[in-house]
Amino acid sequence: MAIMISIPAGITANQASTETLTQNLSNTITQTEATINQTLTQIDCTLSPSFEGFGFEPPNTGDASGFTPPDGSSGFAPGDFGGGSMPGRFGGGPFGGGGTTAMNETLYEDISSIEGVAAVASSLQASEGTEQTMEMMGRSFTRFVPDYIIKGVPLTSDLSDNYPILPTNITAGRNLQAGESGVVILSENNTAFFNAGVGDTIDILDQSFQVIGIYGSSGVEDVMTLYMNLSDAQSVTNNTGYITSITVFAASSNVVSTVASDISSLHPELTIVTGQQRLDQLETLRDTYEVQLENAYASLAQTQAVAVQEIVIAVAATSLIVLFVMLYTVRERTKEIGTLKAIGFSNLNIMSQFMLEGVILSLMAGVVGVVIGVFAAPALSGLLLPAVNAGFGGAFARAAGTVSSVSGVVTPELVLIALGGAVLLGVLGTLYPAWRASRTSPMEALRYE
Amino acid sequence: MSNVALKTEKMGRVYKLGGRQVQALSDVNLEIEKGDFISIMGPSGSGKTTLLNVLGCLDKPTHGKVLLDGVDITNVAERNLHKTRKHKIGFVFQTFNLMPWLNAVENVELPMEGTGKTKEETRKRAVELLNMVGLSERKEHRPQKLSAGEQQRVAIARALANNPAIVLADEVTGNLDGKTKLEIMKLLGKLNAEQETTIVIVTHDGQVASMAGRILFLSDGKLIAKEKQGTHQNK
Ligand SMILES: Nc1ncnc2c1ncn2[C@@H]1O[C@H](COP(=O)(O)OP(=O)(O)OP(=O)(O)O)[C@@H](O)[C@H]1O
Ligand SMILES: [Mg+2]
Repeated sequence: MAIMISIPAGITANQASTETLTQNLSNTITQTEATINQTLTQIDCTLSPSFEGFGFEPPNTGDASGFTPPDGSSGFAPGDFGGGSMPGRFGGGPFGGGGTTAMNETLYEDISSIEGVAAVASSLQASEGTEQTMEMMGRSFTRFVPDYIIKGVPLTSDLSDNYPILPTNITAGRNLQAGESGVVILSENNTAFFNAGVGDTIDILDQSFQVIGIYGSSGVEDVMTLYMNLSDAQSVTNNTGYITSITVFAASSNVVSTVASDISSLHPELTIVTGQQRLDQLETLRDTYEVQLENAYASLAQTQAVAVQEIVIAVAATSLIVLFVMLYTVRERTKEIGTLKAIGFSNLNIMSQFMLEGVILSLMAGVVGVVIGVFAAPALSGLLLPAVNAGFGGAFARAAGTVSSVSGVVTPELVLIALGGAVLLGVLGTLYPAWRASRTSPMEALRYE
Repeated sequence: MSNVALKTEKMGRVYKLGGRQVQALSDVNLEIEKGDFISIMGPSGSGKTTLLNVLGCLDKPTHGKVLLDGVDITNVAERNLHKTRKHKIGFVFQTFNLMPWLNAVENVELPMEGTGKTKEETRKRAVELLNMVGLSERKEHRPQKLSAGEQQRVAIARALANNPAIVLADEVTGNLDGKTKLEIMKLLGKLNAEQETTIVIVTHDGQVASMAGRILFLSDGKLIAKEKQGTHQNK
């Protein structure tokens, strides 16, 4: 009975998680697409990893992978977030991609004078977190686990008024305004980490900032980015004069490719990604995810097929158990049946008496099953879920949070179905024993000791 | 109306056991008048229980007729026989056969289920009967809380529930000690005398048998003697 309820719960959870993932996925793709379409004139420039150190002598030399700021406490995490190799990554917010390699601001001032460039927004992005060492198969790996990501954007009125350099979906408080300093806007994820809301003061790298707004995160990824003025970001991370990416806004979409190639010839060390390229990347990603979704659905169908088999077995087993218990009961109570018949009970009376008992028995079993099911379903559905999760690959690892929150849902409908099923199986399993009881010869039954 | 409660004519019962035939009863001619108190004696295997089963409509004879209140029960369809048992017959068993999950009153009420009586009427009748058998203080007790004699009293009350034409009792004193045995027999005698209940008991016990109005002997399935006897129980 527990299995009976757990399996549907598992399937429901599987379905729910697959649907959630699908929903999140298409939401993200749609949103990103919309953002990119609005910003087709946008060109993201980051320093190519191979040109590391080209425009920048790190104050603390000697660190080959990534950038260690002078104070040594914060770092730009290669890989995990930031994604310099994939500037148009999901969930990155509207404003460009996050480069991870620091660039000297002054070396790129010439970009703004390229013909067709309407505006240039330089930004600095830095991840704050802790190094975590984990043991895996006898080897230890060190991984940078980010707590939050600081993004400094140039808060000039020209940029903040005319270009999408800040998140737009403010859910509380207000957005950053031109010229503001000492203030931040947080993502919902950040509010949890800092345990702070609008109006509160938080400490970022030992410096106080006031939270003036919160923006809603979208997509499957947890957005960990908090926004502040570029100069604030530079000073708080000890990176005065440095940036990690440059977003160039072309005057019109017609000149985007010309501008991009001009930037490229001026600064061959930069990785340049145009809106169109990001759109193309998105298409490729969409194709990949669609294939993964198909796989996930296929594995879900497979899980369901297996589950249906298991339910059939569980149903058969339950009926058989009721059958044998009731057969035993009828045998044990032969003398009682004989007595009841001797004092005038009809076959129908006897039959309904035993049917009632069979149904009560299986109903009680059903209730016990539901109780066990409520506790066992999450575990059992957990066993069924990896098949679905695997289909989504590592890129969606963070979405697993969504999955675990929907797994093992025992709905009232499911409970009713389980109890209804229990009664039905009780009737099925009791039919024969009750019929046998009703046909017992009273004379024989009374001789039975 | 005739005064005959039960009558058999050339009644016989043959059991078929595999290829073998067992003549449990043969040519039984018996007439029981209303208000009779009869005991049947006979050696083990002589057919006493078989006779009682046939009289009580639990079994059908293979030969002859059984007339209960003038109706030949051999002609009553099997599926209607339960009504006859319910309304015309009261059974008392050697091992009492009370329902262990019901208390005394509820056990007495059991045969009245489905007779069209209201709950109140049923309860009233059951209480009345328990008073009659001397168990007015034990109505709410479950069988396992009652002594053997008390259980048999409940069983007797149950047998009387629907005011049957005849009460059939097989070895009802077989599981009782000497004193209780006599008390139960006195109770049956009292019911017979005061309520004019027709009673047939089967027993091995001569003393018990002698407390009935008439003793019949069975031997090898045949009624060998009808003994009219005056030793009606002494009050
Ligand atoms: N259901 C049956 N099938 C076959 N033979 C039976 C059946 N019931 C009784 N007999 C046989 O019929 C005969 C009469 O049995 P019955 O039980 O009526 O005797 P009894 O006088 O009641 O004996 P006891 O004093 O031991 O109770 C016996 O030979 C018995 O073996
Ligand atoms: Mg017998």
